[in-house]
Amino acid sequence: MTPPRRKGVGPLILIAPAAVLLGVFLVLPYLNIVVMSFRMPGQGTPYGPGYTIGNYTKFFADGFYLFQVANTLWIGLLTTAICLVVGFPVAWQLARGAMRFRALAYGLVLSPLLVGIVIRSYGWTILLGNNGLVNRTLTGMGLIDHPLPLMYNALGIVIALVHVFLPFMILPIMAGIQGVDPSLESAARSLGASRFTAFRRIVLPLCTPGIQAGCILVFVLSLSAYVTPSLIGGLRVKTMAVTVVDALIDTFQWPWGSALALMLSVTGALCVVIFARLTRMKWKVARP
Amino acid sequence: MKRPVLTLYCLLVYAFLLAPILVVVGASFNAGNFLTFPPQGLSLRWYVTFFHNDVFMRAIRTSLWVAAVATVISGVIGTMAALYYVQHAGRWKETVRVAMLAPLLLPEVLTAIALLFFVYAIGIGTTTMIGMVAGHVLITLPFVFINVSASLESFDPSWDMAARSLGADRLTRFRRIMLPLIKPGVIGGALFAFIISFDTFTISFMLKGIGTSTLPIQLFDYLRTNFTPEAAAVSTVSIVLTLVVVIVSEKVLGLRIHRF
Repeated sequence: MTPPRRKGVGPLILIAPAAVLLGVFLVLPYLNIVVMSFRMPGQGTPYGPGYTIGNYTKFFADGFYLFQVANTLWIGLLTTAICLVVGFPVAWQLARGAMRFRALAYGLVLSPLLVGIVIRSYGWTILLGNNGLVNRTLTGMGLIDHPLPLMYNALGIVIALVHVFLPFMILPIMAGIQGVDPSLESAARSLGASRFTAFRRIVLPLCTPGIQAGCILVFVLSLSAYVTPSLIGGLRVKTMAVTVVDALIDTFQWPWGSALALMLSVTGALCVVIFARLTRMKWKVARP
Repeated sequence: MKRPVLTLYCLLVYAFLLAPILVVVGASFNAGNFLTFPPQGLSLRWYVTFFHNDVFMRAIRTSLWVAAVATVISGVIGTMAALYYVQHAGRWKETVRVAMLAPLLLPEVLTAIALLFFVYAIGIGTTTMIGMVAGHVLITLPFVFINVSASLESFDPSWDMAARSLGADRLTRFRRIMLPLIKPGVIGGALFAFIISFDTFTISFMLKGIGTSTLPIQLFDYLRTNFTPEAAAVSTVSIVLTLVVVIVSEKVLGLRIHRF
């Protein structure tokens, strides 16, 4: 039975405020970034009169920024891969495990999301610093003589980013696994498939959408993360998002900052498209 | 336990997830001047320092104010949009959903940059709180939308028709059928919006004016130059505030908040 739909503009009033809000404060400003990236750099002002493609030629001419984009992509890739490896078994147990404490475990996975990102990154600086808890404990136990370089480098950034974004990997994969009927696996086993084969041929292809969603989410979030890299990386390791924000807030180079932000977004989006293509193709080959 | 290795592995991951949070809470009771290990005795002195620190107190007030305003606005707009989405969107359903979730899917740093340019382009700059509030409304809107539309999933149009056939007018139908259905979703979404707004960083960081820093920004600025346990005390108070909101919503109101 279909609901009786009122004709006319009546119901549109419900969506109008959201449409106006998104149009004025999201769509227009985003288009404005593109325009801004083609403006002239200003002298003492955020941007000058006239238009140029100079911001983009500067980006491609200067190897430093290409290197920084590559470095940011690498950190994002590493974070995503580690989140996947660390998160999958947890998602599996949450979805399939016969646990008495499932609600508690679920709460534990969600809990980091309720704590602000500044506080979580601060926690990692306490743990990873040269005088931090980890290094103090290891020196105290006599395992190391000098503190391990855990902070102010890519390693520290990746550790903290994995922590910050792990729930975003676990939750979609958990939902994906929950969607796979356990009897399919039993059927494969009864037909003689080993546990590993049943997992690889039946479960994995069926929960691929969840894995894809988790990977894309974590990758995109790590590329645009600002707080964690700037607190953990300090002045020594800068990711692209940190460089962009500094260019806008500290030195007021709006056109240059916009071009950098767009180049990072475009390369990030390209990676996501390639990833989506590759994973889909691979599963097609894997299936009989 | 059937699979001890898996269980142990999961426990390690949970420990990893909780570690930095527990460390911050623990550090806040450190009596020393610096974050030293082991702590030089237990003390609440850093809480006292924090409560007498005008900068942090003003930041907490700003955070609560922005979060309250943003929650009310996105609560109303998000609920209306969810009603439209479930009842009237028809073949535009997918478009409406993607548009409403867009602020969640787009990188927050890009949204913040976009809004920064925008408030200057329309000439108000960061002298008013309009830009910051608009940003907070944008990023909290998806959470209200998700929660309200999830609570409407069980809605059966025939209930509405039955009430109509029994002579109920539009207002009565909304009040007696729709409102009880969406109430948990609205409250849950609003609470989540409040937490998100209270904790968000990048939007506030780009759009803050003079003297309008929120708590996360003030904390971030403080951490760049100071290493006293006061920051840990500030963080712990902020965590406790969030926990209170969650516990109230789960225990008192009996709500399940939908994050995705």
